[in-house]
Amino acid sequence: MQDFPVVDFHAHLGNWGRFGMLDTPELFLSCMDNAGIDVACLNCIFHGDSNRGNDRVAEYVRKWPKRFVGAAFISANYPEEMVPELERCFGSLGMKFIKIYPHYVRVAHDDPLYFPIYEFANERGLAIMSHARHYFDPPSVSVYKRYEGLVKRFPKINWVMAHAGGGTSAETARTVRDFPTIYVETCSSGLRYGGIEYAVKKGRADRVLFGTDMPLLDASQQLAKVIVCRITDEEKKMVLGGNAIRLLNLKL
Amino acid sequence: MQDVPVVDFHAHLGNWGRFGMLDTPELFLTCMDNAGIDVACLNCIFHGDSDRGNDRVAEYVRKWPTRFVGAAFVSANYPEEMVPELERCFGTLGMKFIKIYPHYVGVAHDDPLYFPIYEFANERGLAIMSHATHYFDPPSVSVYKRYEGLVKRFPKINWVMAHAGGGKRREIMRAVRDFPTIYVETCGSRLRNGGVEYAVRHSRADRVLFGTDMPLFDASQQLAKVMVCRITDEEKKMVLGGNANRLLKLKL
Amino acid sequence: MGRVDFNFKPAVPVFDANVELGRRHDQRNLKDTPEQLFEEMSQAGVDRALAWHPNGAAYDSMEGNLILQELIHGDSRLVPQFFCNPSFDDFNVFTRSVKDAAVRSIRMVPQYQHYPFRESVVGPWLDWMEREGLALWLPTTYTVFGNTTELDASDVYDTIREHPHLNVVLSELDYRNVSWAVPLLKSLPNLHMEISRLTIADPINRFLEFMDDSRILFGSRYPTSAMAIHLYALHHMGLPESTVRAICSGNLERILRMG
Repeated sequence: MQDFPVVDFHAHLGNWGRFGMLDTPELFLSCMDNAGIDVACLNCIFHGDSNRGNDRVAEYVRKWPKRFVGAAFISANYPEEMVPELERCFGSLGMKFIKIYPHYVRVAHDDPLYFPIYEFANERGLAIMSHARHYFDPPSVSVYKRYEGLVKRFPKINWVMAHAGGGTSAETARTVRDFPTIYVETCSSGLRYGGIEYAVKKGRADRVLFGTDMPLLDASQQLAKVIVCRITDEEKKMVLGGNAIRLLNLKL
Repeated sequence: MQDVPVVDFHAHLGNWGRFGMLDTPELFLTCMDNAGIDVACLNCIFHGDSDRGNDRVAEYVRKWPTRFVGAAFVSANYPEEMVPELERCFGTLGMKFIKIYPHYVGVAHDDPLYFPIYEFANERGLAIMSHATHYFDPPSVSVYKRYEGLVKRFPKINWVMAHAGGGKRREIMRAVRDFPTIYVETCGSRLRNGGVEYAVRHSRADRVLFGTDMPLFDASQQLAKVMVCRITDEEKKMVLGGNANRLLKLKL
Repeated sequence: MGRVDFNFKPAVPVFDANVELGRRHDQRNLKDTPEQLFEEMSQAGVDRALAWHPNGAAYDSMEGNLILQELIHGDSRLVPQFFCNPSFDDFNVFTRSVKDAAVRSIRMVPQYQHYPFRESVVGPWLDWMEREGLALWLPTTYTVFGNTTELDASDVYDTIREHPHLNVVLSELDYRNVSWAVPLLKSLPNLHMEISRLTIADPINRFLEFMDDSRILFGSRYPTSAMAIHLYALHHMGLPESTVRAICSGNLERILRMG
């Protein structure tokens, strides 16, 4: 066994009964311990009123400050609440980055609807995690152009594509190579063969972030995807924790 | 209670067992009396041979001439029969407007396939009711452009969009505002909050026509949508009967 | 001349059997606060409403039920209805929460929550509800993100037949479900229906041909629909006042034992 920092960039709070997803601190901590995860970044996206979920995240972080980091969830269904809630999250709640979920709004994240969030993040150099493509996107959508536009308009934001951008594709890898503020995160239910190799080899090892989707998905399985894939140990360390520590300025 | 002319622009003849839709004269007249409807405009779209349904409509109109008005249905699946059947409908059968149903044909109603119908209607200044959008439309379809083309080519036709167009409502309301020969009809299964207000506020009160979809839907419920919505009593009177009275020259 | 009523107000007490209260995760409802609900009730002439919170279906019954109570805040005009997911919820914790909140009815969406509505899954829960006199609401359809799941009619028949003392309400019954709902209502006397989405012509009389008016409940499905639509319609369908009264409040009071 080797000791090095492991950060889960993508974990959720809240029960999701229809998928048997159970959220208790005991389950979280034992999964993290079994897998060898030091810190999990938590968000809660299950409420129309974002503050409900953010309060719950903050409570976990307060109780287990060494094990959890908070990500602020902001619902664009209530645009008038976005900036005040961000101020609260990065003020008294001490969150570390932003999670948005365009699925709930049916408006893609390059729409000006989200710009107040991005202006807030750009001023502070924050990271934002979102799915890169959406079920409502027209088939012709170009993820590259979507991010090219965002990166140019908001150069201080670091963009994290959840689930490696929804299927690691040549286009996603090219986007990562061309723009230094873009990252991909690794979790997925498919446990697909070769996914992480592809992201590391075709994208960049310093821009791949390990994530689990806990407790919807299991921590050890998601971690195993990184461990068993054919990249170097140094690359694995970057993916599992090094990159997240650098990105979020974590002191582990 | 107030006495005002009430015209149902959208009613069907025929049974539709799989949806529990029952068509008997007693049910029709009872529902109309309970709701306070003077006249229902009937069409029958359930047959590949249009003349079968049109004969049935004509029979109702003959038996209850003060309560029913006929709308001629012509099926574009048999293009060679369209104009002869129209001549019969507006000759011996005394119909008042035309109903087309592109769903059965899989061809949108701005296709030249329908032009013989439109030439017939344009010469006589008739109204034509159709859904404005179709399940087979590409997502990119512009309802505005569809009607812009039709209105320019056939300036004497009054176009009635069934179900207030069924989707793409902003575009549809803009078409109603821009072209004085376009109307929207109100029936729908969803009893949606705010639908009739939206049509009156964003299009024009003199171009909204009350309809029920009887006996698939209930007359009193569909009428209640107009009665309980937040428009003025004068606007309600226009929607309930004034506009149809004017459009079809009914002399109520 | 058609006779219509521009100044309509209900002539009977009204207790709405189907109101969604609170925010959804998957869309922004036109109205989602208690204040907006009270305003709609007062405009429509609705005295009380049976309310549920969408989070219970989407994610977590217990949490949705808690938020519901928080929003109702003890106001007697709103009666809470709890969501239950029998394949996920803890039986003891859930039943205690129902008792503590004095809740009289439960809502389940089996197809949306991915469990079969079979005796093997829901039997113990229905036994408990039967013992406690709790009623069960089964929406015939449930929609999230525009995707609709539909209740399995055969499951409902097989399972409800085993619980003859349980009051069951088919809610949001719409014209696409009429074909299976009619035989179901004919064969199960403890089955009721809520009319928010029942839009076929002369709907009440069509059902009164084979069942009595004690099994029909007014529900609005606010905020998707406006509350007053069905109330206006129920008063203009040629129904006797006693029937309108039963549908608008009496039957729901009886089922919830709130007489």
